[in-house]
Amino acid sequence: MRTPNAIAAEAVLFVAEKPVTLRELARSIGATLRATEAALEELDANYEGTGLRLQHDGDGWRLVTAPDTARFVAAYLGADRLRVSAAALETLAVIAYQQPVTRAEVEGIRGVNCDQTIYTLMSRRLIEERGRREGAGRPIEYGTTWEFLECFGLASLDELPTVLTPEGLSTRPVPVPVAGDVEAE
Amino acid sequence: MQLHAPQVAFEGFDGPLDLLLQLVEERQLDILKVRLGDLADAYLMRVHAMDALPADEVAEFLALASRLVLLKARSLLPSLEPPVEEEGETEEELRARLLEYATTKERAAALGDKLRAGERHFHREGGSPVDMPPRGGDSGALAAAWAKVLALAARAREEDIVAPAERYSVDQRTREIEDLIARHEELTFGTLLGEQPTLGFAVVTFISLLDLHRRLVIEIVQDDLFGEITLRRKAPRREPEETTAP
Repeated sequence: MRTPNAIAAEAVLFVAEKPVTLRELARSIGATLRATEAALEELDANYEGTGLRLQHDGDGWRLVTAPDTARFVAAYLGADRLRVSAAALETLAVIAYQQPVTRAEVEGIRGVNCDQTIYTLMSRRLIEERGRREGAGRPIEYGTTWEFLECFGLASLDELPTVLTPEGLSTRPVPVPVAGDVEAE
Repeated sequence: MQLHAPQVAFEGFDGPLDLLLQLVEERQLDILKVRLGDLADAYLMRVHAMDALPADEVAEFLALASRLVLLKARSLLPSLEPPVEEEGETEEELRARLLEYATTKERAAALGDKLRAGERHFHREGGSPVDMPPRGGDSGALAAAWAKVLALAARAREEDIVAPAERYSVDQRTREIEDLIARHEELTFGTLLGEQPTLGFAVVTFISLLDLHRRLVIEIVQDDLFGEITLRRKAPRREPEETTAP
């Protein structure tokens, strides 16, 4: 049995056509922020083994379909499989794990010009501009989108896959690299 | 796949770091221990073997090559430590970059696996805005309204009973209502319609009311959903100009 708050939160998330912030949700269901968080945690645990999942990015929450139902939903929607080149995936990996990052930082890590891959990722709405970094040149910072979480079957950024590296198990986020040696164009 | 990105995946390498990493992996070397300078010859050979260096990145390939050669030279002649640490990447810094790049490649591969698995989420697509029915209606009123419609439909069509000459004009009806409202101050829509209004009469009456409302002669109030519509005189009828003039 779910608690009344969890039931109410589920109903609101069900009709929402865009992500609902914690504050909006709390106001809608007439609960405190803390109680609303608890309700979301409860829902999240409840959705295991169902066709739904709770997805969150930053402060926003929404209901999405479960990853293992993707082919059925795709068949219904007539959705195409997303294809991303290896180069674009590398750029996306830097942005996803280290966001918000600037183009110079991405290029510093990859060692190549990333204009084109950033453009491609932007046009596929996998990344977005997040504002500008304070400092010289005020470069644009990039971060991932809801679309990214969705396409990669992630309930949140916490679910980014961890990989084994020569240094051992790496977890997100790694320190942002020193940008000093990559500023030169 | 990436048709719009001519500068990437050149000769199978996505930039100088990628090439260096590939050399490490091909030789099954431990990235943490290998002396990167030892890879200088292999690196230069691969760069040399390229049909054409990518114009955009030729400087980066060559910068890395010179760095590797310098590292190699130092390792061959350890006594020749430079008096002052010069600018540019030390071996450790280069190694750190390479490690970070290796991590990025691993992550990209992991993301690529997820993408290929196709186990993605879908969200509810924003639909077109729904026209919500008015709140608080009661089904009894709806049934009564429907009964009226049925009764109206059951009657003979007005074309059959009203001769063209007897049709109502909005102007005429407006004047009638204006007179009525001047005398009574408040009327209901039901009263104006009478017992058995024909459709034409009801429409003309309604249009007249809208016109009167537009001209600010009356105000229209409906307290309850589907309830009676009340018409009130808005302002006292203005006296003719000549009588108010001093």
